[in-house]
Parts: sequence; C-alpha cells; structure tokens
Amino acid sequence: MKNKLLFCGLLVLGIVLGWFYLSAGQIDGNILLNVRLPRLLLTLFTGMTLAGVGSVYQMMLNNPLAEPYILGVSSGAALGSVIAGLAGLFILMPVFGFAGALLTMLLVWLLAQKKGQFDKTRLLLSGIIVGMFLSAVISLIMYLFQQDAMLILGTLMGNLGHIFSATEYRFFLILTVVGLLVLVLIHHDSLTLDVMSEGDLYAGSVGIQVHRLRQRLFVLCSLLTGIVVAYAGIIGFVGLIIPHIVRLIVGTSQRKVYPLSLLGGGVFLLGCDFLAMHLTALELPVGVITAFIGCPFFVWLLLRKKA
Amino acid sequence: MKEKSKVKRALFKTCAVLLVLVSGVLVFSDCHKKESLAKGQRYVVLSPEIAEIIAVLEGTQHIVGVTAECNWPESLKAKAKVGQFGAVNKEKIIALKPSIVFASSLEQQAIGSELSKLGINVVTVYPKSVEEMLQGILTVGDAIGEKNRATFAADSLRSELQKLSRNFQPNPRPKIYLEIYREPLMSVSDKSFVGELIELAGGDNIFPELERDYCRIKSEDVIKAAPDLIICYSKDTRAKIKSRMGWQNIPAVKNDRIYLEEDINPDWLLRAGPRCVLGVQRLQELMQYSVGK
Repeated sequence: MKNKLLFCGLLVLGIVLGWFYLSAGQIDGNILLNVRLPRLLLTLFTGMTLAGVGSVYQMMLNNPLAEPYILGVSSGAALGSVIAGLAGLFILMPVFGFAGALLTMLLVWLLAQKKGQFDKTRLLLSGIIVGMFLSAVISLIMYLFQQDAMLILGTLMGNLGHIFSATEYRFFLILTVVGLLVLVLIHHDSLTLDVMSEGDLYAGSVGIQVHRLRQRLFVLCSLLTGIVVAYAGIIGFVGLIIPHIVRLIVGTSQRKVYPLSLLGGGVFLLGCDFLAMHLTALELPVGVITAFIGCPFFVWLLLRKKA
Repeated sequence: MKEKSKVKRALFKTCAVLLVLVSGVLVFSDCHKKESLAKGQRYVVLSPEIAEIIAVLEGTQHIVGVTAECNWPESLKAKAKVGQFGAVNKEKIIALKPSIVFASSLEQQAIGSELSKLGINVVTVYPKSVEEMLQGILTVGDAIGEKNRATFAADSLRSELQKLSRNFQPNPRPKIYLEIYREPLMSVSDKSFVGELIELAGGDNIFPELERDYCRIKSEDVIKAAPDLIICYSKDTRAKIKSRMGWQNIPAVKNDRIYLEEDINPDWLLRAGPRCVLGVQRLQELMQYSVGK
C-alpha cells in the first residue's frame, strides 16, 4: 500500500516538475522540442539509471555505501569523454565515453577473477583501484590542459546541457530505449537479489548461481552507467541516496525498492537540474546541487549506522 | 675699454667651452647610462599580451624567457620557455636572472608575489578593457624606459580605434554571438575585452550582461537572440554548428555566416594587446560581407 502511494506521489510530482522544467521562461515550439525535451529525457534517463544501478550495487555488493560509480566504470567513461572533448570531437564525446566505460569494465572484470571465480570483494577492490587510477589520469589532464578546465569540470560535476545534433539525438533515443529495456530486464533479478542479501552461501543453497548473477549484473549495470556518464558526466549521490530513502520508507525488499528508486531517481534529478538552471543566473553544475543535498544525507547515514 | 671687452670675450669663450663640455659630458653620460640600462635588461614575460606590448615598444630583443603561450612576434619562438601561462616554473625564471618579470593577474598573481619576495622586480599588467590596455602600454613603457614610445603607441592606438569606430556605424547593428567554449557553451559579456571590441567595431554582442565576463550560457538563449553572425572559437566545425538541434533558424546559420579561427585570428580579439586594431578591422570586414569559405 505504502509503496503504491509513494509511486503515485512521485509520478504526480514528476509530471508537475516536468511541466515546469519544459515551460519555464519564454520559449517557443522550436526551443521546447529541440532543446528542452532532449534535456528532459537525458535528465530522466540519467536519474533513473543512477538510482536503479545504485540500488542493485548496494544489494549485490552487500555494501550500503555502494553507488554506480564505485566500480570505476564512470572514471573510464569520463576519461574517454574528456579525451574526445580535448581533441575537439564534441559529437564523439559520448562514443568515446562509452568506449572508455567498456574498456574499464573489461579491466575490472579481469582483475575481479580469482581462480576462475567472480569474487565480490575482489570486484569491489579492483573497481575502486581502477577508478582511482583513472581519476588520477583525469587530474593530470586537467593540470596539463588548464584552458579546458571547464570541459573537464563539466564532466566531473555533471552537465545535462548536452547539445545534440539531429543524428546524435536519434542515436541517443535508441540508446535510451535500449537502456530502459535493460533496466526492466534487471528488475527480473530483484527477487534473486533479495535472496542473495541473506548471504552467498544461503543463496547458493537454494540454487542461485551467485557468481554468474554478479557477472551479469555487473556487465548490464556498467553498460548503463557508461551510457549515462558519456552523456551527462559524473553526477554524484543520486545513486547513493535515492535507494536509501526508498528503503527507509518501504523496507529493504529489492522488488519494491528497485522500481521506486528508478522513479525517485528520475524525479530527484529533474528537480536538481531545475534548481541548477534557475537557482542563480549562472547555471550551476548539477552534480554540485545533488551533492549539496546528498552530503548531509550521507553524514546522517553514517551517524545513524554508528548508533 | 679694450681690456674690458677682451676679458668679456674671454669669459664668454670660457663659458661657451664649459657649456659645450658640460652638455657633452651630460649627453655622453646619458647615452652611456641608457645603453648600460638597455644592455643589462633581461625580461621574462609570462603573459602573451605583455609580450605583444613589449614588441610594439621594440623591446623584444631584451626578452630572455617567455611562457609557451607567447607566440607573437615570431622571434619569441627562439626564446627560453619558462612553462605555461598557468603553470610556470619558478626555478627556470630565477635561473634566467631577469631584471623584470612581467606577469598577468589571475593564475599568475601568486607566482608574481612569490618572485617579489625573492627580490625580483615583478610588473603586473592585466588589462580587462581597451582603456586598461592603453594604460598597460604606458606601465610597460615606464618599466622598460621607453616612456615616449609608449605614449606615442598608446595615443596612436587610441586614435586608430576611434577612427575605425567612427567610420563604420551600421544600422541596425549586426547581432554577434561569440562562442569561446563548446562543452559547456560559453560566451562573453560587454565587460570583457572582446565584448568591448565587438561593440566598438559596430556590432551588437547578444550577451551584453552576464554573471561573469566569460560565462557559461544556455543554448536556448542563443536561439532566442537570433544572432546575424557567429564567431566560433570553440574548436567546433561549421557543419557541426549547423547540425545543433534548434539552431537551424538562427540567421547566422541560415545565411552561412559562421566564422572560425581561420577567418578571424582569436589572438587579435581575445588578447588585450595592440593587435586588437587588426581584430576590429577584421570584424568590420566580416560584418560587411560574407567571406568565402
């Protein structure tokens, strides 16, 4: 009951926000269709993916602090985007970003193998290490190419104002549809994840192939994260806080948490991006807004854990 | 009487000789002083704008070190490099034993004050407007002992700019969008140096007021402003600009009046230096006709 109510509430909130998002200020049909609608779609898709993947990772890695960026894929995607941007290949930024995500995913995948097994702790550690290394490469690039600091900052702090060309937009729409299908596909593993949260041993004893499931989820989630970072940069905290808020309200069952996280993430990011655009005359990086709301929450979460 | 006039003549002669001698010594010593001053001068220039000002004041031969960005005049290419604009190597500067270090503001403020602590003479010039640039020429002139040349240069630049501005006053003024960055989109306000040049040249900058002089802007605001000319310094290509969603109805895009770095040298407009006159001239040409592409 509670989750249905929340679902409806979020849906209404999303529609109201979306309306404001599309119609704020003076606009005409051209701007609405060609500038704001693409941005709305990108924002919604990004928010949904981040929160959905976040909830899956938290369950799969048995770690409440897990988020979509924890396994290094985002840094790889960001590095790819930055390299394309520095070369002046703006239209190819998402393609390079996605390629970076794929390569990173492969590397983490290989590092996570332990005697042919796909180990949870190893996955987490190798993801973090690879991510840190790639972040250092980005820092180095930022230091060497100071004139392009805005591009790099935009990638590191999130920038939903991607300017599409018509062909690029079509490509993005296809990716979005595929992405949404993948998100639905992942939901089929929600029940299994619930069982898995009781421990690998228990899950194995009821016939779940734990390692294979982790591999599959890792690949699917990495692909989604790669797409999102390639277009929107790294937007922190959505993937961390939304699933936790949802869990606080409806309990820990992944079957309920996952769809509500998707919706909540989309609506939350829409709100944050609206604030980023309209809070001050100068557009703020959306990653800063999500962090401003997310950081206090993070601290609260930690304090609560201690208690 | 004769005696008296003799004495007078002798006195006059002595005076004349003395005068010649003194003035000769004075002139010679002055020459000598000036020569030695020039001989001992070793400038390290950290900002390309100041390098251009020094070039106009004919002091380039005394420059011993520059940052990588200082690319005009050509002769600077042979000079020792002391790093990049925002990442200067202090040791290299000190090793060059400069008599004056010319620094800009912003990133270079910190390094400037550090060098001053070491007793190095640091002159900071950071012009943000045409007037400040002309003032900067005088400051540099003062520092390198070329006061007269600097005054002359500043005056002639001022009158040249005024003449250009007077002689080209289109009505209505073409609306100009200058893109300095692509991801995210960034443009300039009238308070920036280049914004001032656009207005001075007779154009109408579509973002007269922004939160900062060089500022992030929204794609939809460019579409709304419908610029007649686009000057794009963001490394994007003409075809890609035309393919941006929603930009097809912008007059500049429809009429193919998009200009890139090869059409108008960004250093003429973005650098607050003496070559801004060339920038204004070129801007006026672009406003008058569409150059071949």
